[in-house]
Amino acid sequence: MASVYSSTGFDFSNELRNNFMAEKGLPLPKATSTGTTIVGCLFKDGIVLGADTRATEGPIVADKNCEKIHYITESIRCCGAGTAADTEFTTALISSNMELHALSTGRKPRVVTAMTMLKQMLFRYQGHVGAALVLGGVDATGPHLFTIHPHGSTDKLPYVTMGSGSLAAMAVFESGWRANMEREDALNLVKAAISAGIFNDLGSGSNIDACIITASHTEMLRNVEMPNMRVQKERKYAFRRGTTAWKTENVRDLVVNEQITFVGGDAMDTT
Amino acid sequence: MIGDQQRKVMSEQEEKGQTSRAVLSTVLVARDSILVTTCHTRSSYAFTPSTTTTMEPSYRIVPGNQTKSASIQGTANSLGLHDTLRHGPRSLAAEVQTEGGLKGRLENWEATQDNAKLTLRRNIYGMHAPMRLLMERKIVSQTSPFVSAMSPSNLHLDILMGRDETIEPADIFLGMENGPSLDIHEQLRK
Repeated sequence: MASVYSSTGFDFSNELRNNFMAEKGLPLPKATSTGTTIVGCLFKDGIVLGADTRATEGPIVADKNCEKIHYITESIRCCGAGTAADTEFTTALISSNMELHALSTGRKPRVVTAMTMLKQMLFRYQGHVGAALVLGGVDATGPHLFTIHPHGSTDKLPYVTMGSGSLAAMAVFESGWRANMEREDALNLVKAAISAGIFNDLGSGSNIDACIITASHTEMLRNVEMPNMRVQKERKYAFRRGTTAWKTENVRDLVVNEQITFVGGDAMDTT
Repeated sequence: MIGDQQRKVMSEQEEKGQTSRAVLSTVLVARDSILVTTCHTRSSYAFTPSTTTTMEPSYRIVPGNQTKSASIQGTANSLGLHDTLRHGPRSLAAEVQTEGGLKGRLENWEATQDNAKLTLRRNIYGMHAPMRLLMERKIVSQTSPFVSAMSPSNLHLDILMGRDETIEPADIFLGMENGPSLDIHEQLRK
């Protein structure tokens, strides 16, 4: 290698051409945001994370039931809003690095470690990696909940929302959150917040996912509520027998010609 | 044969009274190949040590705005010109106008942070501290050109640079197109 530093891993050879085309009036296609509602909430024993399950591609729903709560470590999960590929890849990379770090230190991984890795990586890319994340988990120091914005800024709060439906969900949180809630109350609050995002925001929809993280146990509730199930069709649209009359009937015999040959005697001379 | 021609050229230039410090290039035609030699080239097959661009000591953590420059360092072929066959056509005017914001930032990121740490060590412990680290890195990164085709990983260098227990996008994304070139002739020529 010509240099001791590792390369960036990205290829900028098209940059000249893209700048030239942008100058001539043909702008770069914008990576569309997924449109999401993701929330996180602190309760008595730990953290509840919630997310909707719709992934959009412009005005079209690309995935009706996608998973937005990503695995970082056993007790740490991360919800991702923004460009879907960016959130998935970033969380997968940080998950691998956290595992290596835990093996190297020999301790249970901490939420602040994941937060620092994420924010340093996102800051390096100056916001071009469009990943807005809600990171929550329980470690040896207790439960923690963070948000990480695409440019690398972070917040540590007891309840957070991100994505295009964040305002609707935050309205529910602001009126309903109390400190030291019970598990059932916290789960109902998160479900109500995500429902507010699903019904009032075009970019969010389909079902509700939740994840409850406590010091001893992590419970992933996939599709805990499905408020948008497809209803059964009211009428049957099959044609009844006798709608059209028979015109002709032609039964074709599969056997065209039959010839029986007895193969009993010695055809071959075996002396 | 090359030595003879070089000595002839040297004697000619000494007759003309030109000093050997001046960078003159003489083109010699030797059978099939065309070599460009400067008057103070001796052997062309020594292992070149890692060419690191030296940065001045600073506490900067993030790469600043890069001064725009267009050079043919990376794409030059053996004739000293831009290698159109390998890297495509090129326009220096367009390049100077292109804003290299993200590209420059990403490419200089590690170097800038490393520089900050080395500067800190220099100001706390003295000149020897960064010098020893750089010396170790240089020793470890001097490899033969034949190793890059088989396995381009340098474990010692990774340990010294502190990235032996992390995974970076470079580890995942670099494929055959962007990775180190398999051309041994090119590497020997450098």
